[in-house]
Amino acid sequence: MSYLRRTVPPWLRPRRAACAPRAALALLGLWAAAAPATDAPAALPVTQVAPGVFVHLGKPLGLDAPGHDDIANIGFVVGARCVAVIDSGGSMRVGDGLRAALRQRSPLPVCYLINTHVHVDHVLGNAAFRDEHPQFVGHAGLAAALARSRDFFLQNYAADLEAPATATEIIGADRGVEVGPDVALDLGGRRLKLRAWPKAHSDCDLTVYDEATGTLFTGDLLFVGRTPVVDGSIKGWVSADESLAAVPVKHVVPGHGAPGTDLAAALAPQQRYLDALLEGVRTQLALGKPLQDALRDVQPDKSAWLLFEQTHPRNVARVYQELEWE
Amino acid sequence: MTRRHIGKPPPRTAALLAVLSVLAAAASADTQQSPANGAWQYMRAQLYGTRDISEVGDETMSIEAPGSTPDPSATPVALHFGGDLEGKVKQVRVIIDNNPSPLVTIMDLKPGLPVQEIDLRVRIDRYTSVRAVAETTDGHLEMRSTWVNASGGCSTPPSATEGGTLGQIRFRPSADAKALQISIRHPNNSGFQIDPRTGDPIPPHFVSHIRVSSGGETLMEADTGISLSENPTLRIASHAPLRSPLTVEATDVPTQERYTATWTAGSTK
Repeated sequence: MSYLRRTVPPWLRPRRAACAPRAALALLGLWAAAAPATDAPAALPVTQVAPGVFVHLGKPLGLDAPGHDDIANIGFVVGARCVAVIDSGGSMRVGDGLRAALRQRSPLPVCYLINTHVHVDHVLGNAAFRDEHPQFVGHAGLAAALARSRDFFLQNYAADLEAPATATEIIGADRGVEVGPDVALDLGGRRLKLRAWPKAHSDCDLTVYDEATGTLFTGDLLFVGRTPVVDGSIKGWVSADESLAAVPVKHVVPGHGAPGTDLAAALAPQQRYLDALLEGVRTQLALGKPLQDALRDVQPDKSAWLLFEQTHPRNVARVYQELEWE
Repeated sequence: MTRRHIGKPPPRTAALLAVLSVLAAAASADTQQSPANGAWQYMRAQLYGTRDISEVGDETMSIEAPGSTPDPSATPVALHFGGDLEGKVKQVRVIIDNNPSPLVTIMDLKPGLPVQEIDLRVRIDRYTSVRAVAETTDGHLEMRSTWVNASGGCSTPPSATEGGTLGQIRFRPSADAKALQISIRHPNNSGFQIDPRTGDPIPPHFVSHIRVSSGGETLMEADTGISLSENPTLRIASHAPLRSPLTVEATDVPTQERYTATWTAGSTK
């Protein structure tokens, strides 16, 4: 709110009508009764990484650990007219927490919920924002990717949804961004530029760039500290990294790990890992080695990476299957 | 080794499919946490009756698979033959007890063929024993098994790297030409996958038979099915360089289309 007061001219400031009923209830002492404290989701801690850009940092935990629903960086960007949420976390609980944090900082409507890709830790909180009636935006391939994942999510992550968990809680994009020119979303006085990428980390990666502050949300095209997961195409990802490194940014918010100000430096360890993975598997293939040999012998430097043992072998298997048809 | 099948499913493929569906019912009845061998006891009776099956030592035969597979839809399984068995294996069956289609393959080898290693890539649906039973030229049955922990390998949607030309065959020899990996570009749809765009089940569409021959002589014939991974892959290794040129012929179900390609030493395509 301090950001809004400082930078938004009075005629662009939000009208408070939307909040009036809640305010009136509070005055009457009824709001607390209507929403007991135990039901009110605790606001997630968020950091303002740039004016009007708020990020909740995901925890460095495995996908099966308690707290696995809160491992991705998620956030929101506040414009003069409305707010865009960028990823919603891995559960209703996390989505609710993000929404509560948002409401502590802005009363503006949520006009967009942007998903950077299909993975569970970025999308399962979408349903928490249903009542805000945002437009759900993602890569043009996101709707199909979600359709493909819905059963898997329901079987494996039902406890992270609102009981009883149903497919309708797993909300897909109703607007798709095609690979090609950037698409701009206007939040009132500030624009977000969305870019859809060819197959890389996943088959539906989308990055979000806030022009006002030069902040780039990379989604999982950038992992900092946590072992990168190859679920799309290693070749696509290496090439996307090269393009990303050329984007002039002032702030970078990775999909996992600490935000920073130097994109090239943040990308470097991931680029080293992906290059070593690519070259290692290519060498195995050139020698006519089977998959099990590649799984055993492709061993890039793991010292810098969290969850390496859980993640790296699957990467080798995926990359092997991608490259064997080169 | 002379069975041929032009135009209609080979009798043994039909038999294999029939056995598979019965076995699937048996396997799905098993709901225990650990890879219980109830499904195997049933299949053992179906496949081998009351014949003795001995479990041999590593030096004779071994089976290797990752205990916790990094990719349930493409898990490497390696069979090694040595000592007494080398050149004496005439048939190998690979069985994944708890898969909906447990019988992965029946491979007939030319008697005397000095195969030391056979590698496959398989789908694994849940925690299971993976076993290989070798029948020797003198009629003995030898078995080895291992456990694999996995989930959902048979229903994994077609991978993000799918594409290419259906039926394209790729050869990948080792530097010394003693090992050759044969990969067939094919979705090998299991029938348990869902089309992400329509939400409908994808019908089974798989490679049912792979024949490897050289100079008109069959070296290996394999009946295969939906437990092989997408882009079915078979690798054979010997202690001597493989005979070249070597021809691979793969049969598609349901189209009965044949895909063939020939590898000549020194070439990879």
